Amino acid sequence: MRRVLLSTLVAALPAVAMAADAERVVEARKGFFSLVALEFGPLAAMAKGEMPYDADAAKAHAADLVALTKYDPSDLYAPGTSADDVKGTGAKAAIWQDMDTYQKKGMAFFEAVAALEPVAGNGQKELGAAVNKVGATCKSCHDDFRAKN
Amino acid sequence: MSSPDISSSAVETVRIWDPLLRIFHWALAAFVVLCWGLGKFGPDIMTLHFYAGYAVIGLLAFRLLWALVGPRPARFTSFVYRPRAILAYAAEAWRPRPSYWRGHNPLGGLFIVALLVVLALQALTGLVADPDDFVNVGPLASSVPSWVAGAAPGWHEFLGNLTFALVVLHLVAIAFYKLWKREDLIRPMLTGLKTVRR
Repeated sequence: MRRVLLSTLVAALPAVAMAADAERVVEARKGFFSLVALEFGPLAAMAKGEMPYDADAAKAHAADLVALTKYDPSDLYAPGTSADDVKGTGAKAAIWQDMDTYQKKGMAFFEAVAALEPVAGNGQKELGAAVNKVGATCKSCHDDFRAKN
Repeated sequence: MSSPDISSSAVETVRIWDPLLRIFHWALAAFVVLCWGLGKFGPDIMTLHFYAGYAVIGLLAFRLLWALVGPRPARFTSFVYRPRAILAYAAEAWRPRPSYWRGHNPLGGLFIVALLVVLALQALTGLVADPDDFVNVGPLASSVPSWVAGAAPGWHEFLGNLTFALVVLHLVAIAFYKLWKREDLIRPMLTGLKTVRR
């Protein structure tokens, strides 16, 4: 009896663990994009003049963004973590169905960030042009892969 | 209703649509199409979509003003009908003969109201939309609660599809009048002159 109970418990464990993992992955993924937003937000605000331009602050935010692109995000895209599987995420299942396109859009973002870093300290105008290019890559990916709430 | 056959003496060709209203109509058509196309297929930096949207807002403001103080056929009082009148017109509308209506007929008037409401909501949701890309943020997004700004892009997209459907309905209705009812509604919107019942 004890043996049966134990084996049932063990058999049920992976499913429970996976559900918990999925939620953790979603939390981590949202955390990653929160970091992106935290660093990119002030750059966009400076570009638009909603915040005074500060070359040193701009450079620091840009460097942090570049640091984020060094993180290999593949763990954030574990299977079973789409909006169809887990609550609290806007990540469409299309990401997993068309991972090639998703990765291309991700690369476009990384490249735009790489192009932003060297010009972030060159004044509001140059920053603005680079910010627009980064923002465009955000939109391009949101259009296809982010659920509208 | 009137007799089945309308003799030529029962109708007259008069100026129904004033020049500003006609310019408004074609400008609205152009800018709504432009907005829609730029929104669906345009650049990811949506500056042109924004400007086209501001033009639509200006045109809507003009139409609202014109519906209050403009020439008679342009006013709310002549194109907003009671449900009973709309139903009565709809019951007759399938008949293959011109309506000779002086201005917007009751069903057309209902459509005008629907289109103006949808376009106004479309403008509003666009102004407050925050698509979380930092570059295409509506100018009033920070003036509304963040959940509204976050949900607005979804509403804006839905209303864009609804606008498209309304435009298609409009074109189908024009074709129906032209081909089935033998009444040209396009020329009056170009020249202002419409053949109407006396």
